[in-house]
Amino acid sequence: MAEHVILFAGPMGAGKTTAIRSLSEIEVVSTEAANSERHVVDKATTTVALDYGEITLGDDDKVRLYGVPGQKRFDFMWAILKKRARGMIMLVNDDAPDAVQTMIEYLDDFRDLYERGGVIVGVSRTDLGVGPGLAAYSAALQAQRPDLIVPVFTVDPRDAGQMRTVLMTLIANIEMRAMLAPAAEAVAP
Amino acid sequence: MNQPIHQDQFVIGEGHAALSGMCELAPSTIYAALLTDDGFDIVHVSRTQTEASRFASMSSSIQALSDAVGHELRIGDSEYVIMGSAQGHVIQLRIPGQPIVLAALFQPHETLGKALSTARLTAERLAQRLPAAASAAMAAPNF
Ligand SMILES: Nc1nc2c(ncn2[C@@H]2O[C@H](COP(=O)(O)OP(=O)(O)OP(=O)(O)O)[C@@H](O)[C@H]2O)c(=O)[nH]1
Ligand SMILES: [Mg+2]
Repeated sequence: MAEHVILFAGPMGAGKTTAIRSLSEIEVVSTEAANSERHVVDKATTTVALDYGEITLGDDDKVRLYGVPGQKRFDFMWAILKKRARGMIMLVNDDAPDAVQTMIEYLDDFRDLYERGGVIVGVSRTDLGVGPGLAAYSAALQAQRPDLIVPVFTVDPRDAGQMRTVLMTLIANIEMRAMLAPAAEAVAP
Repeated sequence: MNQPIHQDQFVIGEGHAALSGMCELAPSTIYAALLTDDGFDIVHVSRTQTEASRFASMSSSIQALSDAVGHELRIGDSEYVIMGSAQGHVIQLRIPGQPIVLAALFQPHETLGKALSTARLTAERLAQRLPAAASAAMAAPNF
């Protein structure tokens, strides 16, 4: 039986809490608080510590799902939860101002998870039709972080099926890199 | 649109008066702050170097995690949270009926009973001074 710990990161309102609620088979642990700054991101609540859920994939792959608060002032929680995880789904809300650059910044903040496991980007809220759309994110990644191999998807965090696909892709990616890693080390001098 | 609580001059003024009163009641108070449920510093009084905005964020995380534990154990929301250490103790609790948390650091020689009763009294006094919060602001659909 394989165990995975996956972190959901990304800016406020991207849908991290929504995604974990869609995916989890257990009652989620939530730490929502009333959002004081609705003029910044217009939603009733925001995560102030973590989200936690669990899902079993296939016969025996147990996945623990941790969501972080998106707001940077909670970055001490990022540091705590990062240590537990081996992979990350970075959600980015397409309709936020400067969403593409925000993705790059958050990827840099969570770079160690890329080194240790794997990262996938899910662009959410594309159905609203106000953001730059998927291609802009892939292009920015290629131009600005050409060393990163990070798949980019559009995803609706409210949709469990779509989230499962993204999660399974990430886990396949992590397992593949883990399999290749010893071989790569063996050829290093 | 309503003004954010942490920028509401009335709340800041009443909060400052309440925290100052608390320091008089318990001179062992090293630091006391009011913060929004989502971790913005509203007002604080301090006799120490503390980064107010960071402390506010951390307090709100602790408050939410304590509520989550209370829910998990089916004992309801936490009434207060105590963190003890050799160099001081932290007590935090909600202002009744408000999306506001009071968090305070006391010198280690202070008895927990006194610190707790002072913090509670301060929270109750402040609650009486503030208008009832809009219920939407209190509704955090956690569970
Ligand atoms: N239209 C649309 N709405 C979405 C989509 N994904 C998420 N949402 C909505 O956007 C909001 C996302 O909120 P959360 O899940 O709380 O966001 P979060 O990333 O956890 O935010 P913080 O915890 O505050 O950092 C919710 O109201 C979702 O219903 C999407 O693809 N399309
Ligand atoms: Mg959230």
